[in-house]
Amino acid sequence: MKFRAKIVDLACLNHFTRVSNMIAKLAKTCTLRISPEKLNFILSDKLASGGVSMWCELEQENIFSEFQMEGVSAENNAIYLELTSENLSRALKTAQNARALKIKLTNKHFPCLTVSVELLSSSSSSRIVTHDIPIKVIPRRLWKDLQEPSVPDSDVSIYLPALKTMKSVVEKMKNISNHLVIEANLNGELNLKIETELVCVTTHFKDLGNPLLSSESASQSRHPEDMAEVHIDIKKLLQFLAGQQVTPTKAVCNIVSNRIVHFDLLLEDISLQYFIPALS
Amino acid sequence: MRDNDIPMNLNCKLAIKSILPIFRCLNYLEKSVEKCKIVSRLDKCRVVFQFFCKHGIKRTHNVYFQDSQPLKILFEKSLCANILMIRPRLLTEAIVLLTSNQEEVTFSVTPGNFCLKSSSGESLDLSSSVYSEMSFDPEEFDFFQVGLDTEITFCFKELKGILSFSEVMHVPLSIYFDFPGKPVVLSMDDMLLEANFILATLSDHPSRVSSPQSQSLCLSQALRRTEPTQSSAQVGQSQASQAPESISRAAPKRLFPKDPLDSSCATETKRASTNQDDISEVPESVVSDMEEGPGPSQLRKFSCMFFGAVSSQQQEYASHPLDSLAIASDSEEDVSG
Repeated sequence: MKFRAKIVDLACLNHFTRVSNMIAKLAKTCTLRISPEKLNFILSDKLASGGVSMWCELEQENIFSEFQMEGVSAENNAIYLELTSENLSRALKTAQNARALKIKLTNKHFPCLTVSVELLSSSSSSRIVTHDIPIKVIPRRLWKDLQEPSVPDSDVSIYLPALKTMKSVVEKMKNISNHLVIEANLNGELNLKIETELVCVTTHFKDLGNPLLSSESASQSRHPEDMAEVHIDIKKLLQFLAGQQVTPTKAVCNIVSNRIVHFDLLLEDISLQYFIPALS
Repeated sequence: MRDNDIPMNLNCKLAIKSILPIFRCLNYLEKSVEKCKIVSRLDKCRVVFQFFCKHGIKRTHNVYFQDSQPLKILFEKSLCANILMIRPRLLTEAIVLLTSNQEEVTFSVTPGNFCLKSSSGESLDLSSSVYSEMSFDPEEFDFFQVGLDTEITFCFKELKGILSFSEVMHVPLSIYFDFPGKPVVLSMDDMLLEANFILATLSDHPSRVSSPQSQSLCLSQALRRTEPTQSSAQVGQSQASQAPESISRAAPKRLFPKDPLDSSCATETKRASTNQDDISEVPESVVSDMEEGPGPSQLRKFSCMFFGAVSSQQQEYASHPLDSLAIASDSEEDVSG
């Protein structure tokens, strides 16, 4: 198993750092999947994450100037690593004005992802800082649980409003209830509702627009005003929203009534999918 | 410090929390205060700070003190094999890049290289910290003498504190050390003051254990009981020598409690004779310390920061002048400040 990659472009480095920061906010521990074309950050719906799953994908070509990998075997040409997300984002943060950044898989006492940053120090000689991030290699037999989640046929698909607005609304709602209802219809309306014995609070977002659904049947039989709703844990929604530091290029929310809500974001060239299941 | 015109030594400790607020507003002090008078009132166990301000305003602060027994640390730093001097800024910038929250930092030197490392954790799981490392060229140092290829590990938090202090003083930081286990001395020398911070380093002793306690205690290990303070242990090769001394004018006090890790290598302690016999005059040499008394615990800690008194000639008296005021103290003492 081998992996070495290098980033020399500052913009690419910052982009990768931003993604890493976001992942660190979304998942404490995550799986990094390295394949010849892509890098994926994966969180699968274990009990530990409360059923939330995440799939983040980036094309390695767009970030790395050099990229070499050799997977477990020729047929299974991928590497699955488990790491603490914050370790990676903090290591990348030290590379803010770096000349170059190299990442490679190493085994010094224990398996590591070694991030090596070449900085211009104040005395104008370049300084190399290396960080060894401890990782765990995930064995082949567990790979099946870490595949790309299938996008369910959603009842409603709608574009999200400004995530910052959503976040501030949900943050306030969190103080009132643990339980939030997210509902949307094909008329570009999305509501966030909480309900307690004393009070109900609803925030209405209008004129959001709906992406065209691929399955014709679903959209035809559905009345545009009908709301599809899911009851979810408010903290999970808040964690998702808190992780979004940058305005996405595209943000779609897919709702399967009473089952799951699926957020599909595109951040320039990086795709992020986040699934929050309904509260049972 | 004089009390009733009798010059005497004042060995006492004041709580940092009491002193800091007095000198907090630098702007105000610079603009309004015309004179500051600091007087000790031994009869009332107080140090009185008086600010004579504009418009006839007089602010008085009474701070209670407790007696303390300074211990002398005899450690000749100039005998260390490795002596480095660097502008603190460079180290500070580098420290920022060490990502781990580990408590310890390691200096690793060879004649051609200086390497700063965050200490490697022993555990092998994901939650163990990132291990970071960065190298410095000897050219970046103002002075670089490496007589011994070595690696020393000591408390990170203390290093950060010392660095920020030396940056504020705009003084280059000198680092003296030898083999692991022997203390490292970080010192700064200025017209106004000389500060020496003696920090214990982890020795290569295989039975070392990591510190269970929190912030003030950074390095500890299973120790054999150190000798009672009355006798003096000899440190490594250093002869009984006077640590350099200087009179401090404004002396911010800080406490760096340390554990001696290997008593034979650790800083030597020697209890100065009782205070009453100390005759040399020392203007405010107030040192903070902690309760001393080794107790049954195997851990001993030293305050590592001391401001000594410089005198042009050595005192001839029976007791040593108050050169180094390093205090051995018990663990667990909450140093308020």
